[in-house]
Amino acid sequence: MSRHVSKRNPSSAWRHIFIIFMIFFALFPIYTVLLSSVNGSGALATASLWPRHIVFSNYTKLFNDASIPYLRWVVNSIVLASLNAVISVLIGIFASYAFSRLKFKGRKNSLRLLLLIQVFPNFLALAAIYVIMERIYNVYPHIGIGTTWGLLLVYLGGSMGANAWLLKGFLDSIPMELDEAAKIDGASPSQIFWLIFMPLTKPIIVVTTLLTFIGTFNEFVLASIFLQEVKARTVAVGLESFVGSDFGANWGAFAAGSVIAAIPLVTLFLSLQRYIVGGVAAGSVKG
Amino acid sequence: MHKVFGSNFGLVVKLLFLSSFTALFTWMTYLAILKSEWAIAVALIVIIIAANYIYMSKKPVAGKFLLPGVVFLILFMIVPVIYTTYMSGFIYKAGNIITKEEAIHQIITNTGMQPDENNTTYDMVLGTVGSKYTAILTDQTSHQVYLGQDGIAKALSAGQYHLNADGIADSVPGFKAYDDNQLAAADQQISTTKESLGNNRYILAQDAQTAALFIQTLTYNAKTNTLLNPVDGTVYIDGGKGYFVNKDDATQRILPGWRQPTWFSNYTSIFTNSKLRDPFIRVFLWTFAFAFITVIMMFGVGLILAIALDKKIKFRNMYRALLILPYAMPSFMSILIWAGMLNRDYGSVNTLLGHHIDWLGQVWLARGAVLLVNLWLGFPYFYLISTGAIQALPADLEEAAAIDGASGPQIFWRIKLPLVLQILSPMLIASFAFNFNNFNLVYLLTRGGPTNVLGGETAGGTDLLITYAYKTAFATNDQNYGLASAISVVVFVIVGAISMWSLRRSRVLEDMR
Repeated sequence: MSRHVSKRNPSSAWRHIFIIFMIFFALFPIYTVLLSSVNGSGALATASLWPRHIVFSNYTKLFNDASIPYLRWVVNSIVLASLNAVISVLIGIFASYAFSRLKFKGRKNSLRLLLLIQVFPNFLALAAIYVIMERIYNVYPHIGIGTTWGLLLVYLGGSMGANAWLLKGFLDSIPMELDEAAKIDGASPSQIFWLIFMPLTKPIIVVTTLLTFIGTFNEFVLASIFLQEVKARTVAVGLESFVGSDFGANWGAFAAGSVIAAIPLVTLFLSLQRYIVGGVAAGSVKG
Repeated sequence: MHKVFGSNFGLVVKLLFLSSFTALFTWMTYLAILKSEWAIAVALIVIIIAANYIYMSKKPVAGKFLLPGVVFLILFMIVPVIYTTYMSGFIYKAGNIITKEEAIHQIITNTGMQPDENNTTYDMVLGTVGSKYTAILTDQTSHQVYLGQDGIAKALSAGQYHLNADGIADSVPGFKAYDDNQLAAADQQISTTKESLGNNRYILAQDAQTAALFIQTLTYNAKTNTLLNPVDGTVYIDGGKGYFVNKDDATQRILPGWRQPTWFSNYTSIFTNSKLRDPFIRVFLWTFAFAFITVIMMFGVGLILAIALDKKIKFRNMYRALLILPYAMPSFMSILIWAGMLNRDYGSVNTLLGHHIDWLGQVWLARGAVLLVNLWLGFPYFYLISTGAIQALPADLEEAAAIDGASGPQIFWRIKLPLVLQILSPMLIASFAFNFNNFNLVYLLTRGGPTNVLGGETAGGTDLLITYAYKTAFATNDQNYGLASAISVVVFVIVGAISMWSLRRSRVLEDMR
């Protein structure tokens, strides 16, 4: 079929031109941030689009300047994002197993409700969350407003809505005969879950864990409200403060910090690309 | 299969988990009760009972799998939504945060306590007479000595007390002074030490060694719900807007105020107060326009790319890897990078174009920039899902249409595009809902600005409803939680209605297994 089409469409030049234009569009910001990270002037790519004097002072500053706890921010982000990803995917897979395999009253209505809830980002209720977490802080200073744990709790509130549907779609595609056979062999629901479903759902667990990790890593609103203390910040809030008021529009340090934080994430993303693209595309067909 | 988890082992683990969980939560309930946070205590007790019931009984198997998620969902998603709705019914902003009882308490103990005109201060020695808490007070200027007991300061005459070397009265008969440990533990007593001298004058402790004279200028009358200034006789009434105001001059407020129930006034003020209405309507329209246009743009570019890369052209794999790079980058970072790139004076976009354009400083340019940056962030995702959709089309579709005499463009516009749209409609709608609330994009790129355009105090040219609500609550001096909550509720209703409508249309709910 492809031969047939290419005969009718002898030149695929437009494809290449359009694609190359889009690639230029896609890469220009990435090039800019790389360039400014080795630029000494502190601005985001000044007069020239070519590197003139390559300096690494922006990078060394991140690790040597005591007023910039960059490493702490990275650690905070990784801890927060990992915990949220692991716990919320666990919660999601528990829930989706119940929705996909167990019969209980109100199952369909809960699924509908969940679908509706998932379109509301929880920071829409930001003012309420703030007031509630302030009250929690009064009783438990370790998990209220201003703490990483409190922030994690709020993130976990959104976990059911975010993951249960996606995971349920995947579980639905696992043939029923499998668990029926296990049931006949005398396995309990929890045994079926842990010993049959968990291994089979590995690919989708990888995708949702990674996407949740990235989502948490990118989260800015709640983190900026919760984590006021400089040391407690996440990378997102910390790097924003470079170009916001706190550090006086320090684009060089921002760029260097971005490059360091982006490299592992982009690498992770690209190496798991097969799964992600598969998951995203499968989602599109299943609807 | 059998006996991998021996049933005893499973039971032991379960009991261990459940009992430590119960212990932890019981302790937390106790802490909540200590602070009289009843709502928290009740919530915790409900969770403890639910968990023990569900995990100990055999029956509700589904509950075992659902409970953790449901608890988080209710506590940190549904409760905040309900609380948002509740808050939107109050005047709830900076200066009107506490309850009326707390406000009256603060007015009587702080606002209504003025230092006397001579700033009289006292040296204070604390201790007990018998078992009675007692303060011995020496006026630092007149050296008059008072005995403070049971909230009353009694003047003593010379000979009734003992003076130390500094001329400070430090003892009376039967008096036992606090030692350092007792003083350290008496914080609560010290902060509530208030000894009346009569005539609305009170001696209040300032710290463990000093006290000062205050005049009570406001007293509360619960029967009439009014404040009275006993010095000049002014009466303050509850003005109905969260403050006590002068009976004769409503602009004279007593601080602090309280959160005053107002039912729908936050909602009606959005539509009747022109200072709020005009910016709100423009933000509202822009939010819709933005969400709609940005989805079309991202989908359009993604689809064209998917078509361009559908055939086996040269470099396809390399192209694909480079094109999805924006999707792999952490988005908050990309947005900030774009903000720097679009800077008028040193941004690389102006350097590239050789111009000096203030991209983020003019309304329409800024709106264009917001759309452009979002296109950059979103087109790879749409490219990926469009590719998936195109590949899901039946393989012989094109051939069959060609045999029936359809031309290339006809096949695309009449056959392929409608099918692709049908497949992707749930994702397009989800993307619309997401971008309707795309906080990060707008806040990190423009902060909602440029600001002067809409004339509102907080609304700017690129503000979405969500950033507008955020700024109303957190970025102004007013910190108007009530109004922000009302805006949030409006967004809830809009997004909810759109989602319900689209879910009905796409039949997701009916086809659900």
